[in-house]
Amino acid sequence: MRESFAKDVLRAFLGTLVAVLVYSLAGSAGPQLLVVFNAFSVVVLYFSVRRGEVFGALLGTLCGLAQDTFSLGVFGVAGLTKTLLGFWTGYVSRRIDVAPFARNALFMLVMSVLEMTLWVLITAVVRLRSVSWHGGLILLQPVVTAVVGSLLFAVERRVRARRSRGA
Amino acid sequence: MARWEKRRSALVLAGLVTFHLLLISIQVPRGAEKSVFERAVFFVYSPVQRLATGTVRAVGSVWRGYFDLRRVRSENEKLKREAFFLHQDVRFLEDRLSLYRSESELRALLADFRGSVRPARVIGVDSVNPHQSIVIDKGRLDGVAKDMAVCDMNGALVGRTVEPVSLKDAMVQLITDKDSSVGVRSVVANVTGSMAGQSGPLCDLRYVLASSTGGEVGEELVTTGFDRIYPAGIRVGRIFSIEKNDKSPIFRSILVEPYFRFNTLALVAVLGPEPGSGGAK
Repeated sequence: MRESFAKDVLRAFLGTLVAVLVYSLAGSAGPQLLVVFNAFSVVVLYFSVRRGEVFGALLGTLCGLAQDTFSLGVFGVAGLTKTLLGFWTGYVSRRIDVAPFARNALFMLVMSVLEMTLWVLITAVVRLRSVSWHGGLILLQPVVTAVVGSLLFAVERRVRARRSRGA
Repeated sequence: MARWEKRRSALVLAGLVTFHLLLISIQVPRGAEKSVFERAVFFVYSPVQRLATGTVRAVGSVWRGYFDLRRVRSENEKLKREAFFLHQDVRFLEDRLSLYRSESELRALLADFRGSVRPARVIGVDSVNPHQSIVIDKGRLDGVAKDMAVCDMNGALVGRTVEPVSLKDAMVQLITDKDSSVGVRSVVANVTGSMAGQSGPLCDLRYVLASSTGGEVGEELVTTGFDRIYPAGIRVGRIFSIEKNDKSPIFRSILVEPYFRFNTLALVAVLGPEPGSGGAK
């Protein structure tokens, strides 16, 4: 049991490195892209669906703290929201079937909207000021996250199907 | 077994949530001051960012180097580097010439000034809001410390270094950040105020009395140096609009458009302590 938990921590750390890598690449492509594309959320959603709530919570913590450290906001806010995102995504995906593309996209959209709502609320309470909306552009972030996340699953399914046909 | 699994999940979640609430509770009263834990996290992840950006740059460089005109590229790089220092020199000379120093004094000062400029590459932007901060590839080992002014290639003010500053990377708070504040004055009418960001493309010029006259749209703003972080005379931006302030009739509502642009932020200059000044913290 202890060994599997340690493995989960290690995997979560590797997952976070992937998230930092994707975030850095997105930042190099264009700083404004980061307003609508949150690489950390995509990574947390993707791996939480695959590996369950405990792993999701761990990955959420590491990814959230990484996101916090590359921002001037209060340290821990993204950590908290992503921990909850990872946990609830893992928990719900174990209880309902989120494999079909449309359902998967809708599920990710709902989770991303919940995460963003929570993040906005906590930021407003902790910093006692409103969040920058970037002219409403930030509201596209859950949509982009859901689309990218569900596309990842679709690609993965297609690759697996092709492999099994080949075998 | 299932019950134990459920209990384990709940315990992990409760533990992590408590951990984050503690982190937030510790961070809020500290304000901008970073905890050791946050610095450690930055220390762990910033090399990954450096690697990713470096790889993108290297791939782009190989592409351009081999498929574009190779000699022109290297010459362009050399010229860019020269232009970078020349822009900094001009800014420095403009500032110092106003003091009517002798030529030899100016040459000595210029030599000192060049030594205090550190070129740095931008390796990352703020993960939440690109108008808040950037990460550069120079850190403590390169002589970068907290509260050093950062300019773009044209000598326009970009921001200042803030914690975390690790061995080879540092975070820069942009002047467009909500929590940033820069003492500025207009070059013609000498309107003085404090410029604060809005975490967007424009900034506010605060504390300019409604009774004061002068200041026009398009007028250039430069740093005053009163805040002891930004050296005096650095170009900051131009007045974008001047209106009556409905919220506070005592002050005028002035918006400023900063000069620096994200697409020119590939290379920046970190200004060390100027000759004869106190130095960065």
